[in-house]
Amino acid sequence: MATSNVDQDTLNELLEFHWMMDMIQTVDVGIVVLNRNSEVKVWNGFMEAHSGMLPSDVRDKNINDLFPDITTNWLSQKLKPVFELRTRAFITWEQRPYVFKFRNYRPITSAAPFMYQNVVFSPLVSATGTVDNVCMMIYDMTDAASAKKQLLELQVRANEASENEASEGAN
Amino acid sequence: MLSVLICDDSMVARKQVAKCLPQDLDVNIHFAKHGEEALDAIASGKGQLLLLDLNMPVMDGYETLKNIQDHELSVKTIVISGDIQPEAAERVANLGALDFIKKPVNAEELSEKLTEHGFLCDEPQIDEALDELPEEIRDCYQEISNVAMGQAGDHLARIMNVFVELPIPNVNLIEVSELHMMLSDIDSHESISGVCQGFLGDGISGEALCILSDSSFTDIARILQVNEHMDDQMQLELLMDAASLLIGTCLRGIANQLDMHFRQGHPVVLGQHQSVDELIKSNKSAWKKTLAIELSYGLEGFNVQCDLVLLFTEESMDMMNSKLSHLLED
Repeated sequence: MATSNVDQDTLNELLEFHWMMDMIQTVDVGIVVLNRNSEVKVWNGFMEAHSGMLPSDVRDKNINDLFPDITTNWLSQKLKPVFELRTRAFITWEQRPYVFKFRNYRPITSAAPFMYQNVVFSPLVSATGTVDNVCMMIYDMTDAASAKKQLLELQVRANEASENEASEGAN
Repeated sequence: MLSVLICDDSMVARKQVAKCLPQDLDVNIHFAKHGEEALDAIASGKGQLLLLDLNMPVMDGYETLKNIQDHELSVKTIVISGDIQPEAAERVANLGALDFIKKPVNAEELSEKLTEHGFLCDEPQIDEALDELPEEIRDCYQEISNVAMGQAGDHLARIMNVFVELPIPNVNLIEVSELHMMLSDIDSHESISGVCQGFLGDGISGEALCILSDSSFTDIARILQVNEHMDDQMQLELLMDAASLLIGTCLRGIANQLDMHFRQGHPVVLGQHQSVDELIKSNKSAWKKTLAIELSYGLEGFNVQCDLVLLFTEESMDMMNSKLSHLLED
């Protein structure tokens, strides 16, 4: 009786683990886990769909080799405090439009040439209390970025118009 | 820094008043030509002290005072006028003016009045705020900020190989208008960049502001060993790196002492790409007072000046006080 209870518990845990993995796979946010050597440990469905690379293509490969745009120097700069201080590191689309060059999610109705991204590096604390892996979360910011760019454009145009008016008034 | 707004329709008078301000006083001087301009300037956070003329076109001094009184603006006013009838002084006093100085103003008299009303001792508005925050609670916040700072400083020192000059945290309750003033200084001051980031956890929520003087960027690049060409985008990158480090380590230090975790939202760039006025206007009525912990970091041997301000919502304070109750007991 006791053994079958334990079996049932183990099975439930396995089932739970399964749907949790499914959730990580399907969530509409990019999730990449890197170890201290910048090798890919997790590559979720979002990353797979947008990059066209299968988890089996990228697993245990160095992220710098997979994406030459991401330089070793830059990445280690970001990862150092995450591993050593356990603080998060943030990258906004304003400082760097994208970390992974993906195509725009809405190729027909949106004019953006690529996906603008916000990226967070977050430390993953292991069961033993050490940080051996870092989780990268990639958010699609294309809509916000386009809206902001349009707004800026409008402001510039409005300013120009009012300046023109003022100079015509002076003449 | 004291922000002084001089309102007079005559340019000569404005210049004269500005010249009479004590030389050693750390002030930000703004000018207005009449009452309406003055009220606009006050609304955008320019002016803790208003030096006001009475006879002006568009809106005179009396109307301006009435407006300030009606809208309960936090600005303090000293009237400087050529109208020296006893009734004028009485009327402006009734309208809330602190004092009356007759024209032409001289430096000695102005400095006397400023001392009398507490503008010459450092930061008068902080003294006021202290009254509102019980001493022992303020001490408590100061202490946890100190410890958090120490931890953050240690972390920074280790990762950047520099000696961090630890500041004394400044803990205050501030009002919307004061924050507005602080932020519009960032906005108007071209050589400063800022980032803000929301955080929350366990019923405690707030925002962290990280403000960096642009002259710091060269040295920050050196410390973080970035050798690339310095342009706007590179500066933003360094600002984000510095902000992530400072905000992250400091919040973690505080959270550890409160035995909790903060979740951090994505940082938003202030100043460089966004008008601060716009940003605050949209939620002006949402809150009245906030607990502000201000930390000014310096790095020994480097020209780096960085301010970190942690703002906690009023609602958060009950929760924080209860989490800190073990420190408050004797």
